Amino acid sequence: MHLSPGRHADFDDGCLTAHMAQDAMDGSSCGTELSLFLRPVVYSSVGGLEELARDTHRKYEIRCPVHGFIQIDDWERQIIDQPAFQRLRRIRQLAFTDLLYPAAMHTRFEHSLGVMHTATLLYDSIVQKSGELLKQQLAYDQDGLARDRRLVRLAALLHDVGHAPFSHSSEDLFPKRGRGNEKFTHEDYSAAIIRNELRSAIEDHPLNGNTGFKADNIAALIGKGTEAGRAVFWRDLINGQMDADRMDYLIRDSHHIGVHYGKFDLRRLILSVIAIPRDKDDRSPQLGIEEGGWHAAEALVLARYFMFTQVYFHKTRVAYDIHLREAMKTLLPLGRFPKPEGAELKEFLKWDDWRVLGLIGKGRAGEHGRRIIERNHFREIYHTPEVCSDKDDRELRIVKAKLGKLVVAQESAKKSWYKTGNTDIPVLSKVRRPRVQPLSKYSKAIEGMKENNQVLLYVDGADREEAEKRIRKGRQQK
Amino acid sequence: MSDNQSARLATLVALAEKQPRLGRTAVMKLCYFLQTLRNVPLGYRFTLYSYGPFDAGVLSDLSTAEAFGGIESKTVLYSGGYGYEISPAGRRRSVKSLGSGFIKKHGSDLQWVVEQFGNFGSADLELLSTIVYVDRESAQAKARRTPDELAERVHEVKPHFTKPYVRQKVAHLQELKMLRSLRAASGNR
Repeated sequence: MHLSPGRHADFDDGCLTAHMAQDAMDGSSCGTELSLFLRPVVYSSVGGLEELARDTHRKYEIRCPVHGFIQIDDWERQIIDQPAFQRLRRIRQLAFTDLLYPAAMHTRFEHSLGVMHTATLLYDSIVQKSGELLKQQLAYDQDGLARDRRLVRLAALLHDVGHAPFSHSSEDLFPKRGRGNEKFTHEDYSAAIIRNELRSAIEDHPLNGNTGFKADNIAALIGKGTEAGRAVFWRDLINGQMDADRMDYLIRDSHHIGVHYGKFDLRRLILSVIAIPRDKDDRSPQLGIEEGGWHAAEALVLARYFMFTQVYFHKTRVAYDIHLREAMKTLLPLGRFPKPEGAELKEFLKWDDWRVLGLIGKGRAGEHGRRIIERNHFREIYHTPEVCSDKDDRELRIVKAKLGKLVVAQESAKKSWYKTGNTDIPVLSKVRRPRVQPLSKYSKAIEGMKENNQVLLYVDGADREEAEKRIRKGRQQK
Repeated sequence: MSDNQSARLATLVALAEKQPRLGRTAVMKLCYFLQTLRNVPLGYRFTLYSYGPFDAGVLSDLSTAEAFGGIESKTVLYSGGYGYEISPAGRRRSVKSLGSGFIKKHGSDLQWVVEQFGNFGSADLELLSTIVYVDRESAQAKARRTPDELAERVHEVKPHFTKPYVRQKVAHLQELKMLRSLRAASGNR
């Protein structure tokens, strides 16, 4: 397919349009002028495109149900077109949450685009409001800021490229790193995929002549490396209290599943996020918010709490996570995913939801595969309060002892990837004199929030009655 | 609760007992030093941020230790900023007993980390832990650096410190033999 300047084109998913950036700027036909930059590019077949004379300065827009249009350029599109990224179309954002909320069928693909878009809005807002601080304390100049804007976009785009099938649900099956007990994480896989599968798409695009990025720079901002240098400051936009990932998934998940728990004023929050000097002690600047935006930040924290209790840690969703994990154990050679290294990384990339669903459908995933098909999930029989004290922990142990072998699984909110955790955010007030206080000093709701460390116990559905009887008997004895 | 989590909660209470009015940044960095410099198996996964190595799991455990009555955390406001002070609370013995074996085994490590780093301010702890993080990454990649090269790399991450100050802290850790990737300035790579 050939694209002429200014012409919109339909791509494989029917939602991608393209036009010449110049058209958008001045409405002119720019084929002649920009032909200097044209070069032939052979596209991979993944995008369904044929050989195409391609303009490196072309912009594209992708429709998004949350953000409207997401703009990408030719470099980003080349990365998106890689098979390793296209695989995200086949990984659901919320695993089997659709068995509770039927419309939860969206994928990591659209979320990744949304995170890139949100991270860019945050970056631009921070630079606009805190440019002087960034220049003074992190020695940025205009070129440095432009370069790291690109770095943040690419890191945000690729932060989830290492997800296993069904996202977080099967992460327990990541292999151990070295001889210790520490396991690889999806960030390790993302970094390895960037350094290997995506290296050429990142480093060889002509637009990289402006930045000179190595794949390692981007991988470092996602994984554990230090190659990002001062740009580690932006890691909070990728993985932090107010990161673009969280902002996007709360709203996107709410939109798709039809709940309102995860909604907050994204635009207000974006306009409020700033870099602030943390204190008189000469510590590093940190992301925070202006005082005027504290209600938006409060809403973000509350949205996270509601989504956790109502969706991510819903007892039935958690039950299906257990079945999925056990089914995957049956399906995976050695009962674990291949490592993010060498030939094993390529093997890992062959795993996606489609493959797993196919194998479950063929009956190869054992008892737990059958349970998923038949919707015969484990039943929650007991849970501690959301904030579990040592007294609650003692009672949990007593209940477990009473239930004995009837307990088939125990799941803790603390182990959940979506766990709520620390909720404080620095707020900068400029009334009279600059002063930084935690969000909990502004919001009584946040001040009163404690981390959810709830524990759920599960039994087989057939044992539910017997289990209830034992718990009742235990309570009567008390 | 897993044995590992019990051990971590007990460790946090023990640190709070050893160092009165411990700051939250200090707890984070002391846990990092315990795990990295003394191989105490706390099971945290630290990632480098501009404010040094960080794992949200430490804050999560602080929160649980507080819910269990082992510690109490107080927000302290001061001119221009704020911090959190962590102190032992009424049920500290009960929480510590959850990981009593672990505390017994690693008691000398806890004592050591508080003696070595307990009196540093937050900014210095952020810098010192960043130096150790960069050093360990270099050592893992089998990259040998001179002290100046290491300081240069750290300065790229934390440019708000002066280079002489970073070099001074590298020298301090070198003197205590806590760095692994260093080579002599005139040596071969």
